[in-house]
Amino acid sequence: MARRILTAALLLTVGALPQIALAQQTPAPAPQPTAPGIRWSKEVIPIASGEWTGPRLADGQPDVQGFWSNTISNHSNFTDPQAGPPGEPSGTAKLPRDQRAPSRVSDPADGEIPYRPEARALQADFAHNFPNPTEPQYIEPLARCAPAGVPKSFMWHGYELRQYPGYVVLLFDSGNRIIRLEDGAPLSDKIKLWNGDSRGHWEGNTLVVSVRNNNGKALFGRYGDFMSENGTVEERYIFDADGKRFNYVATFTDPTVYTRPWTATIPARRYTDADEPDGWHFDVQPVNIAGGTPRYEHHERICVENNGPFGGGAVGVPFEGSVIAR
Amino acid sequence: MLPLRRSDMLEVLKRSSRGLLAAAAMAAVTLTAGPIQAQDPVAIPRLASGKPDFSGIWQTLSEADYDLEPHSGRRDAPPGPGVVEGGAIPYLPGALEQRSRNFETRAEDDPRLKCWVLGVPRGVYYPAPFQIFQRDNDVTLVHQFGNQVRTIATNGSDHPEEKQQEFWLGDSRGHWEGDTLVVDVADFNPETWLDRAGNYHSEELHVVERWRFVDPDTIAYSATLDDPKVYSKPWTIDVLLHRRRDANFQLIEDYCFTLQYEQYYPHHKDGQ
Repeated sequence: MARRILTAALLLTVGALPQIALAQQTPAPAPQPTAPGIRWSKEVIPIASGEWTGPRLADGQPDVQGFWSNTISNHSNFTDPQAGPPGEPSGTAKLPRDQRAPSRVSDPADGEIPYRPEARALQADFAHNFPNPTEPQYIEPLARCAPAGVPKSFMWHGYELRQYPGYVVLLFDSGNRIIRLEDGAPLSDKIKLWNGDSRGHWEGNTLVVSVRNNNGKALFGRYGDFMSENGTVEERYIFDADGKRFNYVATFTDPTVYTRPWTATIPARRYTDADEPDGWHFDVQPVNIAGGTPRYEHHERICVENNGPFGGGAVGVPFEGSVIAR
Repeated sequence: MLPLRRSDMLEVLKRSSRGLLAAAAMAAVTLTAGPIQAQDPVAIPRLASGKPDFSGIWQTLSEADYDLEPHSGRRDAPPGPGVVEGGAIPYLPGALEQRSRNFETRAEDDPRLKCWVLGVPRGVYYPAPFQIFQRDNDVTLVHQFGNQVRTIATNGSDHPEEKQQEFWLGDSRGHWEGDTLVVDVADFNPETWLDRAGNYHSEELHVVERWRFVDPDTIAYSATLDDPKVYSKPWTIDVLLHRRRDANFQLIEDYCFTLQYEQYYPHHKDGQ
C-alpha cells in the first residue's frame, strides 16, 4: 500500500509543479530556454520548413529519435500558457501580457480559438467549474489517467520519439501514438479514438501528419478548450537543423465547433544524456550498463493502476469491480 | 537465411499439443516432412544487423489467457489443452489455496476487468493483438489492450541497480542466443494475474522468455516462471504467436479503463 501512496503523491506533485515553477518566477525573468530543471521559456522561436541537413536513419527518415518536452508550460492554460489554470492564477498572471509566453494559438493573430458561440459557452462553463467541480464532466479527463490526446500530449510530461521503417512512434506519459508513414486504407469514420488515427510523411525537415478519427474527448487543457469528434488535425512537426528543437504546428478544423480553421504552435526541445533528469521534462532513470552509455532510460509508464481513489490521484477511477465485460 | 528445420517444427508441435492432438500433429509432420526438406531454405525477416526482425502485429490463437492449465469448457471459458509443460503449475500448498480462492472470485477480481496492465507474460498471450517495433538496441511491444508498452532493452544493459521497484511489467533485459531472443524479466509487483482462472504470482516472480521464429509469420514463445513464494519449482509455458495478416489490419487503441466516464467529454450538458 505504501507504493500506492507514493505514486498517487507523485501524480499530484508533478501536476502541481508547473504552477510552482511559475510562481517562483521573478516579475521579469530572463528567458531560460535550455536550463536543466523545470523552467519555462517565454519565447517561441520560429523554425522554417525546409531541407533536412541533419543525420538520417537507414530508411532515409531524419533521425529525430529521443526524449522531447515542451518549453513554455504545461496544459493548465492553452491561450495564456503561463497564467495558470482556472482559479489559480500564476505569480506572473497580473503582469502585462507580453511578459508571458504567447498564446499557443498562432492563427488567428488575436491568440483566441475561433469558437462558435455555443461551443465557446461550453468551454467557458468548463473553465468556470474546473476549480470546484460539482459534476463528473468538470473533471479533466487526464486526471483520470485518460490519454492526453491531441494536442495536449505535447503539453504534459516529456515524451519519447522512436522511429522505425514506416513508423514514427510517440510514447507519452498517458497513452501513445503510432504514426504510419505508408499509405493504407483509412479507418472507418465510425471508429473514434482518444489519440486519433495518424498518417504521416516527411517533407524535408517536417513530419506532416493527418489525424482523423478523433473522439474529441481529451480536451486541450484545464480551461476546457476542445474539438469535437468531427475535428481533424493537420500536424507539422518542424525540426531545426541541429535537431535540438522542433515546433509542433497544427491546424484544427471542425465546422461544428469553430467558425474557421485555426493553428496551434507548441515548441519543444530535445533532452539528451547531457541533461540532468528533472522528473518532468526528462523523467528518466540511470541505465545499468557497462561503459555508461546510454546514461538514461525511461521505465514503464503506468497511471490508472497506481492511482485508484486511494490517495485521490486519479479522480473517480474505480478500484474495485469491473470496467469491461469482455 | 535460416532453413525451417524439421526438428523445430517437431519441437513446437510437441510442446503445443497433447495426447491425440499430438499424435495427429506428428503424423501430419511425417506426411509433410519430405516437401519441406525439398524446399529452398525459408527466410525469416532480419534487421540489417542480421538479427531476426520480429517487427509486426502478433496475436495468439491459444486459450492460454482463459486458463494456462488443461481445462474443460465452462461458462466463461472455452476448453483448452493447456500450455504448461507437464500440465500443472507446481504451486506450493498454501499458494494453491490462494489460486483456488482467486478462481472463485475471478468474475470480480481479475485485474483485466479494470483494463489494467496485464503484466508479463500475460500480455503476450492475451487474445488481442500487439505490435512489435524493433531497433538494434531495443524491442518495443505496444499492446492494443489498455495502456501497455514494454521496452525490452537489447543494448547490453542489466536490470536497474535500484531493486524492489516493483514494476507492473517487470524490467526486461534481452540478449540473443543465435536466432533466439532471450529476455530476463525481473522486479515485478504482485498485482497482476497470469490468466482469467486466477493463476498468480508474487513480487518474487522471475520470468525468462524465449522468442524464436518458426516461420516468417509464426513466433514460438516460451516463458519460464520462477517464484519461490508461490511455486515449488520453475515451470514453463509454450504458445505460438501468429502474424496478423488480415487486409488493412492495424492496432486500434483500446484505452478501456476510460469507458466508465467517457460519456462526459468533450462537453456534457444536462439533457444531451
